[in-house]
Amino acid sequence: MSLLTSLWAVPALGAAACALSGRAARWTALVFSLAALGLSMAALRPILVSHGAGLLVEGGASGLFGISYSLSADGLSLALVALTAFLNLICAFASWELEVPAGYWAAFQALAAAVNGVFLARDLFLFYVFWEASLIPMFFIIGLWGSDNRRKAALKFFLFTFTGSIFMLLALLAVVIAHQRATGVWTWSLPELTGTDLGAGAPWILLALMAGFGVKVPMVPLHTWLPDAHTEAPAAGSVMLAGVMLKMGVYGIIRVALPLVPGAAAAWMPILALLAGVNAVYGALCAMAQTDLKRLIAYSSIAHLGFCLIGVFSGTAQGLAGAALLMINHGVTTGALFLLVGFLYERAHRRGLSDFGALATRAPRMAFFFGFSILASIGLPGLNGFVGEFMCLSGAAQSPILFGGLPFYALIGAIGVTLAAAYALPAFQSVFWAAEGPNSVSPKVFDLGGRESAILWTLCALMLWIGLAPQPWLATLAPSLQGLVR
Amino acid sequence: MNAAQVPWAAWLLFLAPVSAILIGMFVVRPLKPEWTHLPILASCAVVTVCALLLLQRVLMGGSFDLNFYRWAGVGSWGVDFGLRIDGPGVAVLSMVAVVGSLIHLYAASYMEGDPGFSRFMLVFHLFFLAMIGLLTANNYVQLYLFWELVGAASYLLIGFWYHKESARKAALKAFLTNRVGDFGFLLAILLIIDSFKITHFHLLYFLVARATAAGHAPQFLPAIGLLLIWAACAKSAQFPLYFWLPDAMEGPTPTSALMHAATMVTAGVFLLVRSWPLIAAVPGLPDLVAGIGAFTAVSSAIVAGTRKDLKRILAYSTVSHLGLMMLALGLGRVSVAIFHLIVHGFFKAALFLCAGNVGHAIHQPTANVDEVGGWRKALPWTYVFFVAASLSLAGIFPFGGFFSKDAIVDAAMERGGLFALSGLLISAGSAFYIFRMLFLTFHGERPEQKGLSAHPHESGSGLLAPVGLLALGAVVIGAARPVVETLVAGGWTALPVGIPGYAQTMNLPGSTEIPGVALKALLIGMGMAALGAAAAYALTMVDAGWDWRWRKSSPALERVFDSDFGWKTLVDWFARGVSSLADFVGRVLDKKWWDGAIEGSGRVVQAAGSLFSDAARGRLNEALWWMAAGAALLLALGAAR
Repeated sequence: MSLLTSLWAVPALGAAACALSGRAARWTALVFSLAALGLSMAALRPILVSHGAGLLVEGGASGLFGISYSLSADGLSLALVALTAFLNLICAFASWELEVPAGYWAAFQALAAAVNGVFLARDLFLFYVFWEASLIPMFFIIGLWGSDNRRKAALKFFLFTFTGSIFMLLALLAVVIAHQRATGVWTWSLPELTGTDLGAGAPWILLALMAGFGVKVPMVPLHTWLPDAHTEAPAAGSVMLAGVMLKMGVYGIIRVALPLVPGAAAAWMPILALLAGVNAVYGALCAMAQTDLKRLIAYSSIAHLGFCLIGVFSGTAQGLAGAALLMINHGVTTGALFLLVGFLYERAHRRGLSDFGALATRAPRMAFFFGFSILASIGLPGLNGFVGEFMCLSGAAQSPILFGGLPFYALIGAIGVTLAAAYALPAFQSVFWAAEGPNSVSPKVFDLGGRESAILWTLCALMLWIGLAPQPWLATLAPSLQGLVR
Repeated sequence: MNAAQVPWAAWLLFLAPVSAILIGMFVVRPLKPEWTHLPILASCAVVTVCALLLLQRVLMGGSFDLNFYRWAGVGSWGVDFGLRIDGPGVAVLSMVAVVGSLIHLYAASYMEGDPGFSRFMLVFHLFFLAMIGLLTANNYVQLYLFWELVGAASYLLIGFWYHKESARKAALKAFLTNRVGDFGFLLAILLIIDSFKITHFHLLYFLVARATAAGHAPQFLPAIGLLLIWAACAKSAQFPLYFWLPDAMEGPTPTSALMHAATMVTAGVFLLVRSWPLIAAVPGLPDLVAGIGAFTAVSSAIVAGTRKDLKRILAYSTVSHLGLMMLALGLGRVSVAIFHLIVHGFFKAALFLCAGNVGHAIHQPTANVDEVGGWRKALPWTYVFFVAASLSLAGIFPFGGFFSKDAIVDAAMERGGLFALSGLLISAGSAFYIFRMLFLTFHGERPEQKGLSAHPHESGSGLLAPVGLLALGAVVIGAARPVVETLVAGGWTALPVGIPGYAQTMNLPGSTEIPGVALKALLIGMGMAALGAAAAYALTMVDAGWDWRWRKSSPALERVFDSDFGWKTLVDWFARGVSSLADFVGRVLDKKWWDGAIEGSGRVVQAAGSLFSDAARGRLNEALWWMAAGAALLLALGAAR
């Protein structure tokens, strides 16, 4: 088995092994997660050494209708694969003491396999298959191991993304058929399809692709599945959902949508950029109104992904690199926040902002980690969140897309940055600082144990590291995106 | 010059606090939390020595500006982090190090026994570290990093006693207001990057000077200048964003002292000093700075004269004095602004710590003038220090404050018009509110006094020695005038930057001269101060009931002062407006209307009995499994080829 194949096949085998190993499933999951992380590091190494240059390709011979099993990987895809492996390992540790059946562990392995497949696929049919396959494990993670409203949330998640991906499939089919008509060759290979002349249909294809990817990101107004899915998913499920699955949407836009229809994308870029700015501000405003901690973080994800898209649609090298780094950052930071809410929920079975109070006194370690992650999340310079936002916005400021001669959507983004503090800090205060109300469940909350602290130290160290020295990360990610710079 | 030639003192400025915080956090705190102050005080000593060594070095012509590493960038574009040790930087740094260290010493005694002692000392030192970084940053992004860190640390310190609702609110207000200011800063940085592609101070100075000389100022320069001023207004508590500062006294008193004197509010003035070659290149902006400063200084001096809480009086006084610095800066007197910043640091720290001692005497974090009175006998040392620092604040010759304030009033008189008038008003107003506070606290019993505490007691030496040293500094710091003048004069041009013609292109805007004592200004300034002091005496000592009476007779007027002439009410409306907007968007627009519509349409489908029925749902799961199986088969086939 070659290296790139192993990146998705090992977790896939892991899923089967977990399902078969019964009560020892968590150990199996641990072993396979470690192996996956090791493999992703091995794949990433040559790219790190060469400062982001280089492309690994596997497979290629095409079969029926030009469908081929072919994978390729560059800095961006391998960074996301490594993020998936890393978060999966974190999730394994975080779920270690949960009373869950083997299927739970298998689902996470299967999810990692499918998501990695998406990040590695070079053939668009393969891409689509992995894309759809990733829905299944997440559907069960939410639907089986979520909280009270899990069934509805899982179904909503499934229907939204499924509907979106039907549009995506139609768009892909249209491109493949157009290519066949023009050249007489059936192919689903992304590099070969790039540059296909789509004529007047291009804007519609862009629209359909954006519907598919936009649901996943999620882009307002296609986002309403996300708060429900996040809120009902188990903590580790939320981590994977926010940390990895949302990135599939941005990845799809970067890898598939923009290269396939460059002309239409360029023409519609101002609108898309504006929508991205709306995402950042709308997500923040919605987050301000939430009373459920998990819902609040879910909306903050929408805002963060808005910054990401601002970077992508700026069409500048800084913006794109910032967007890529923001994907990694958001995985780490939001992952930490969801885990902390999960730990809170395990202890008190509540998530409301007003259900707690004075936790800083009862659980100081929890308060420290939550405060640290919140500050990273709202973009405190010196921590990871700022770097990505800053790069995205500086890309926006230098972007050729202007409104009335002004880099207008850098302004919208800056408003989003300002609003972030307005939802994050009040939430922190009402849980950790405010006086306990009569119905407070704070007494049930005991402080983090050694395992939980170790997980969060790892995440927080990563936040600080990326915040202070992001250059090696950017250098790994940026070359993959050069082709999109306008 | 390269990194190897950077003096050790410059490295230690960062190494000492960082290692003190790490040791304190990971070694001392788990083992013996009540010793957390030890590594931190050691670090303070190191930082102070280093700052003074660097001061000496810069005076001898040893300024430098060096990049160390690429922080973030793509391709050839990027932001480098480095170190800039130059005149304005070390001038403020030395004050921050000396005053900050003394406040640390005070805090170690003041906070002793508090359950959060260890946490307090660590965050306190982080605050200090952030300010050191801010003063030595060599580009805007690096400065912004520490600027925000200052904000975050202040948030944690203002909200330190988070069990108090007022502290939580004040912390949030401070952070959010500063964030509104940072919005301007961030946008300014983005526009700087857009216009110049770089964020380095000396390169920017050069580019702006060259462009201006060539007669085509960059398009966005006015906007950049305005946004930087906006940012400074938040951090340095100037109108329209000053209102967070008076509430920020909810933190423990050492926090207030550090924040008001050394580490936070001076950052805004410093930002404008750093940006002065950019701002001064835009006609009208210096006048705007001066106008904001004068207006803020006068209005907050008036409000300070009506406050009852000791720390609140001092907080408004800080706002007023920051306004004075802005006024000096706006009038082109960069050195004078920095000089006053330094002098103010000493007397304001001393005054805050005296207020801390007064509160300490009755076991409260702060004290109200109604609760104290005639305490000069009970607190003799605190009284002496308070008098010394007050005389400095009021600008009485030959106390330190006289020299800096005199220079500002002098500049304002020279400019004439409203600026001159405001200079006079501030002189009188400062004297009024500080002597009012002095008389109410230390002299004469008050009729309205509630007799809350019968037995105030003087603090121990741990709380007196640092205050004494600060008060001494407030008295003699006027002598530093020539040093500050030399330092600032070299601020823009004395750097070996390796651009041909750099020094020739750079024309330092404004004047770096700090005028000496002129008899006319001395007489006018002292006369106004004497007037203010006399008014304070008449309205507190002669007519002891006045302060209490006017509040009774005209509550409407009191409300005017309480709301800072209505401005605080407007700000509250704005804050409530934003939060109502968020409520509408989040609860109504997003949840009820949009999500409701989507789920509603889902239910319509369900009613039609197709997709959502139980049978269909069962088949959905089945379909999923078939999909998975199909995918696996496909991949197996593909892999086999």
